[in-house]
Amino acid sequence: MKRLDCLKAIAGKVGDALVVGTAGGATVEWYHLHPSEGNFRSRTLGLASSIGLGIALSLPHRKVIVLDGDGSLLMNLCGLPTAAWAAPPNLIHIVFDNEVYESSGSSPTATAGPTDLVAIAKAAGFPRALWVHDVEAFATAVADALAGHELTFIGAKVEHGIVPGIASPTMDDTENKYRFMRHIEKLEGRKIFGSGYPDL
Amino acid sequence: MKTGADLVADALVAAGVNFICTLPDWNMARLIERISQENSWIHVRLGREEEGVGICAGAYLTGKTPALVMQNGGLLNSVNGLTTTSLQFGIPTLLVVYYAGDINTRYFSTVGDMTEPVLNALGIRHYILRDRAAVMPTIAGATVLTMDSRRPVAVLLSRDLLRSEGA
Repeated sequence: MKRLDCLKAIAGKVGDALVVGTAGGATVEWYHLHPSEGNFRSRTLGLASSIGLGIALSLPHRKVIVLDGDGSLLMNLCGLPTAAWAAPPNLIHIVFDNEVYESSGSSPTATAGPTDLVAIAKAAGFPRALWVHDVEAFATAVADALAGHELTFIGAKVEHGIVPGIASPTMDDTENKYRFMRHIEKLEGRKIFGSGYPDL
Repeated sequence: MKTGADLVADALVAAGVNFICTLPDWNMARLIERISQENSWIHVRLGREEEGVGICAGAYLTGKTPALVMQNGGLLNSVNGLTTTSLQFGIPTLLVVYYAGDINTRYFSTVGDMTEPVLNALGIRHYILRDRAAVMPTIAGATVLTMDSRRPVAVLLSRDLLRSEGA
């Protein structure tokens, strides 16, 4: 299974869900397939899931999707019990597990060995955590999570390899931040900037 | 009778903080107990401090005024997140930090040695609270500063302040 095919299967089907991408290839592919003001690309390996958790807790009526990788999740495993305990039912944590640190030379991660990230998510307390093994099952799992109201973890084993011809987004990080926050202002119908905290 | 920890909790409410992540230190037990009892914010209990940098960033992106409560050892744990999330994107967070290894404490002088130099290296402005009368204006002012500068600002809490008692 290829990550790009998984992402193609859900691009255009996530409605106005907010999407936080990890510092890795999944995010590059997602920005290419689904350019949106509701995308936010993290830069700290491990923190995409934490940023997504903060958004999900702050906007409980919005769906939030995290596109994570195995290396990123391994760097912030303690985020799983934190999320499970806080338990926002609007958060969907997707992990594309290619068993390597793809963006930094493709040396193996622990998931190339005995480590099972879905089992860890279940043990951390995620009420719903599942592996999907083909693109159709992936798309179904995401659609179910978007339609449902339960904190969900979806693991997808994918082939490693960066797809040629897909360039990294050229957007500056602060530009990404402002566009995302302006998008929130529109979605929510309220001002963030220029009305006192946090905007001054 | 209020402890210094109670004053800090009152000051965070008054400053308009409405999203707060915590990881305990023995000397912040009363502060975190107070934080857990307040209804004016979303409170997230952490497993490691750096995830709090990300969670606070996510909250800020939606319009929240976030604070991260931790020990200074946790501040050192968080340096990558502070650099590549908070500073990289220009995301404010009020860092409320117990100053282990400060004057008149035992066992943690090494982390105490490193705390202010690391904050200086990061370009994160910081204010040390040892005086009860300074709690309210300093936390209010630091909250304004972090939101206005769109950078983290740290308030370092001394043990003697947190344990102090008064009206």
